[in-house]
Amino acid sequence: MSKDIVWRLLRRNISIWQTAGYALANFVGLAIVLCAVKFYCDVRSAAEGDDPYVTRDYLVISRSVSGLGSLGSLMGADNSFSPEAIADLESQPWVKRVGAFTSSDFSVGASLDMGGRGMSTALFLESVPEEFFDVKPAGWKFEPGVDTTVPVILNKDYLTLYNYGFAASAGLPKVSEGMVGMVPIRLSVSGNGRQQWLKARVVGFSSRLNTIAVPQEFMDWANGKFGESGSKNPSRLIIETNSPGSPDIDSYLSANGYEVAGDKAASGKAAYFLSVATAVVGGIGIVICVLAFGILMLSVWLLLQKNRDKLHNLMLQGYTPGAVGRYYCIITGTVNAVVLAGAVAVMCVVSELWREPLAAIGMEGASPWPAVLAGVVLMGAVTLINFAAIRKQVRRSFVG
Amino acid sequence: MKVSSISLHQVLPGVFAGMEEDEALAASQIWLQEVTFSRGCRTLVSAESGTGKSSLLSFIYGRRTDYMGTVTLGDTDARQIRINGWCDIRRNSLALLPQELALFPELTAMENVEIKNRLTDARTGSWIRQAFEMLEIDNRADVPAGRMSVGQQQRVAIVRALCQPFDFLLLDEPVSHLDSRNNGIVAQLVEQEASACGAGVIVTSVGNHLALEYNEVLKL
Repeated sequence: MSKDIVWRLLRRNISIWQTAGYALANFVGLAIVLCAVKFYCDVRSAAEGDDPYVTRDYLVISRSVSGLGSLGSLMGADNSFSPEAIADLESQPWVKRVGAFTSSDFSVGASLDMGGRGMSTALFLESVPEEFFDVKPAGWKFEPGVDTTVPVILNKDYLTLYNYGFAASAGLPKVSEGMVGMVPIRLSVSGNGRQQWLKARVVGFSSRLNTIAVPQEFMDWANGKFGESGSKNPSRLIIETNSPGSPDIDSYLSANGYEVAGDKAASGKAAYFLSVATAVVGGIGIVICVLAFGILMLSVWLLLQKNRDKLHNLMLQGYTPGAVGRYYCIITGTVNAVVLAGAVAVMCVVSELWREPLAAIGMEGASPWPAVLAGVVLMGAVTLINFAAIRKQVRRSFVG
Repeated sequence: MKVSSISLHQVLPGVFAGMEEDEALAASQIWLQEVTFSRGCRTLVSAESGTGKSSLLSFIYGRRTDYMGTVTLGDTDARQIRINGWCDIRRNSLALLPQELALFPELTAMENVEIKNRLTDARTGSWIRQAFEMLEIDNRADVPAGRMSVGQQQRVAIVRALCQPFDFLLLDEPVSHLDSRNNGIVAQLVEQEASACGAGVIVTSVGNHLALEYNEVLKL
């Protein structure tokens, strides 16, 4: 009951309007922040999926091939990336990591039997470090001397080209990704005075790698056995960047005469714009939160100032600062918890509103937990600072 | 923390600094002296207004530290006691009746006493009611303290001060607003409770003394 008396004593000067004003302001701010975080997560999660729409974190670059350049290459000029050029690229702040395409240094021919019609073609193969893959198909390994089948990853566009370009005009059947995997391919690998037939199988399709990719182990083995010119510098690089679409990337690439494959730079710009826009919205939310936090601190301070004599008298009776401050901590803790719950609810409702439009362009929603976690961390920090301020103020009332 | 004694070593309120040669200070039996109050004492600190009697009790009770010299509770320097230590002492060792009474005007007389008693759990409800009856404020128990006369408030504050275990009872002008009959009743209650726990009583007064049998009278 003493607690009830103390509570009755201390709650007298609590201003409902001040508290409500704080709660509302902080609620608005936090809801904006959480929505921004959720939106960002949704869009990012799409970027991490199979088919990144907005954020392309990977760039495949090569040196520009100009008329003079190709002439130069005939005359011995190099279109590849020297170790110095790669090191310089790796030192750029927007580069997370760089991987080199290893191209085949031997002749490759492929023949397959499809629908009773045999086809054969000259091919090229490349390999890329596995960490740059967007697909990890089963059976993606090659051990020389043990494995007799070479797994191959094709670019998705090739299948589209075949299905809608070649197959239609040549009267061949359209094939699905799964069907392609079942087609036996025979590879003829030759060079360095040797020739060998190998079996190959398409194990997956990538939208990131614009090439015909084979495992690095196979490439190393085959280059060593059939290669004629020894090791070469890579002529294509894949870059994982941590700020897709950044203008720095464009200026660096054009300054060095590098070219980006496909339209990835353009879609990267969309990602860059999106992250800037999200940051601006989130920033506004944070500013509102900070202002609301200021209001709360002011309210708490005023309340404690108004109750200074009461607090002092309570401590004169032997109440500890902790016991007295607890009531204020409960009030602010409760208000903050309600604000957090409200903001999370708003975030969930609002994210439902954009779920459908995003789903229409192939973006599945992300888990709400990162946004909830952000809210909990933010409110946790605010609450801890509140508690510290209350404790300080209450202890200040002790003397006198 | 058990407080077996309270000692003042050459204590002088900060506001009197530089006035050490002053005649009134030189005559003081407390300021700039070695003074020890022991459990069981009945000490009257007789003072004129403005000589710092409330300051003396504030120094002992840990409300203020603006003094020179040293105040010790038992063997502990009062300046070394932390806030929570003081809170413990105020619940279990030292009971104070401040001159300003420090009642909560919006709470009733009974609530003012309960707010202390529920913290210390020292007295039963019947003890409190008996004390109210003895001090003739039982019919005012449910009246907000702010609507009571100063004399009544004084008695409520006395009951509240007794609602805890104590080694010393510090009473700052406890009967300044009471007539001699009520003075006697308060003295009887104080003596009864202090004797029961073997506590010391330090009373300050500017004229109207609490009617205890003092074994020591000190001039401030």
